Amino acid sequence: MTEDNHSKDGDATPPGDASGTPRPQPAPAPETSAAPPAPQPPPPAAPKPAAPAAPAVPPAAAPKANPLTAPVPSAALDRIREKFADRIVDVTYYASEVTVRLKQDRVEEIWRFLRDDPGLRFDFLSNLTAVHWPERPKPFEVVYHLFSITTRQRLNLKLDVGEVEQPPTASRVWPTANWHEREVFDLFGIRFHGHPDMTRILMTDEWVGHPLRKDYPLEGKPEDHMQLREVTTAEHVYTYDKSSIKGFGWKKEVEKTGEGRG
Amino acid sequence: MFRTEEMDINMGPQHPSTHGVLRLVLNLDGEEIVDVRPVIGYLHRGVEKLSEHRTYAMIEPLTDRLDYVAAISENLGYCGAVEKLMGLQVPPRAQSIRVILAELQRIASHLLWLGTHALDLGAMTVFFYTFRERELILDLFEQFCGARLTYNAMRIGGLLEDVPPGWTDRVRHFLSIFPSRQKEYEDLLTVNRIWLGRTQGVGVLSREDAVALGTSGPTLRGSGVDYDVRKSQPYSSYDQFDFDVPLGTKGDTYDRYLVRMEEMRQSCRIIQQALDRLPEGEVRAKVPKYIKPPAGEVYHVVESPRGEQGFYIVSKGSEMPYRMRFRSPSFVNLQALPMMCKGRLIADVVAIIGSIDIVLGDVDR
Repeated sequence: MTEDNHSKDGDATPPGDASGTPRPQPAPAPETSAAPPAPQPPPPAAPKPAAPAAPAVPPAAAPKANPLTAPVPSAALDRIREKFADRIVDVTYYASEVTVRLKQDRVEEIWRFLRDDPGLRFDFLSNLTAVHWPERPKPFEVVYHLFSITTRQRLNLKLDVGEVEQPPTASRVWPTANWHEREVFDLFGIRFHGHPDMTRILMTDEWVGHPLRKDYPLEGKPEDHMQLREVTTAEHVYTYDKSSIKGFGWKKEVEKTGEGRG
Repeated sequence: MFRTEEMDINMGPQHPSTHGVLRLVLNLDGEEIVDVRPVIGYLHRGVEKLSEHRTYAMIEPLTDRLDYVAAISENLGYCGAVEKLMGLQVPPRAQSIRVILAELQRIASHLLWLGTHALDLGAMTVFFYTFRERELILDLFEQFCGARLTYNAMRIGGLLEDVPPGWTDRVRHFLSIFPSRQKEYEDLLTVNRIWLGRTQGVGVLSREDAVALGTSGPTLRGSGVDYDVRKSQPYSSYDQFDFDVPLGTKGDTYDRYLVRMEEMRQSCRIIQQALDRLPEGEVRAKVPKYIKPPAGEVYHVVESPRGEQGFYIVSKGSEMPYRMRFRSPSFVNLQALPMMCKGRLIADVVAIIGSIDIVLGDVDR
């Protein structure tokens, strides 16, 4: 099916050059047009927006070159900077989304402020999930996507979480976080401190391991991979014998040739 | 000598009115619901993990299998998310055709909901009527992309092909007959005493609870909260169309029914406008053959028939996403079920499950 897609793609693009490009563009799509023409530089206290590729080059050049990572003004960010400047780790921008990485301690205070502040009213937790970065010192990133129904703003928050750390639960601030956090626990093994019902939700209760971790084996039987390890918090954490892990067969093929899929 | 005690009863995972493999553990006092514990995951296929090992073009067919009743909304959201990640501009004609498809899908999804919801509550006739019209929409989809359920209707950057000749006329024909057909359903239900008795005041969800529990779509709007992604963060040229967002007042099952009925009329309005002002031109932007978005992450939301459908993609600049997250409205809306059911009877649970319109493929992913 994908091959078919490609041949179609190849056929369709050349005539597109002739008839498609001179056409005047009516109202551009709102998602991409939202980047303002002259983004004001962030206040001096803030860290610079993360440059995507090369952090070693002069800092001003990288964000200018890429409109996707250009900073956008955000009232919510300004308010957090006013009140909790010392709790911000960094701020990143991508495709006019603002993502604020916060320190974990007393983060509930910031959540409550964002939810209850009359100018912000982030009362709707749209999504909560996690990302596993095994190479980082704190390997997990919990991501919160907030939305304000009254002001129609969005704001993304992030927390860095270590292997045995227990981030605070957001379910006391936004009850919808209850199931999201259960899912994150189920698939990543992050336990949320103070959560009312920290049990698996999608996998069966007897399941061993957390499938969305990057080191979760994709082939073989569970007992070939798992070693039970005792950790300081008196909870069992499963680690995987990395030498026994194999990926999907065809994936290696793609990496080797770079052809045939896409 | 006599004593009463609470009792746990399993409802599902094989139960016709749970619309799939939903299991509810009902804690009962007599016939009254004390507590409900939804048990999900029976249809978990690990789509998020699968996506981490597929290229971007290969993931779109997977999104069909999430919310299989409204696959086009999933396609639209997924393609929109990748386009946002790449900074792609979709040609205006493709945007309008996408809107037409998505709104036809909304009507088809609501028709399936209405038919099965009425069937659950004993109104069998409506089922045959709604499936008659749903068939017309599926025929339109079949003519457009060759499939009737899992469409894979869009491509990153636009559409695979323009609509076939005469297709827009057939859509116009559908629009010309649909309002009178919709009146037939409403004649059967809207002022039907039995229907009112089974739905009014059942499964009330207050405005505050609906927002706090993160519900979206008709479940949220039935409680009177004005949040529709098509209005608040317009995507795919929705800002060019004139339509209203219907809102309920009481937040009960009947209000959610009314909201969905009105949404079908508004969808017809949107399709009519899109057909009248369909731009000419290409239907696919210039997209590289190997899609490799730059490193970054986006969260893109669309309004699926069930609510806010979110797509969170983390890219490391390779041809496969590093992390893919599908925020499914059914999963979040189902969380509100225990609150709606408390203090009601078992028969009302069936009505309430129907009124939040879950699709288990979307809940379990």
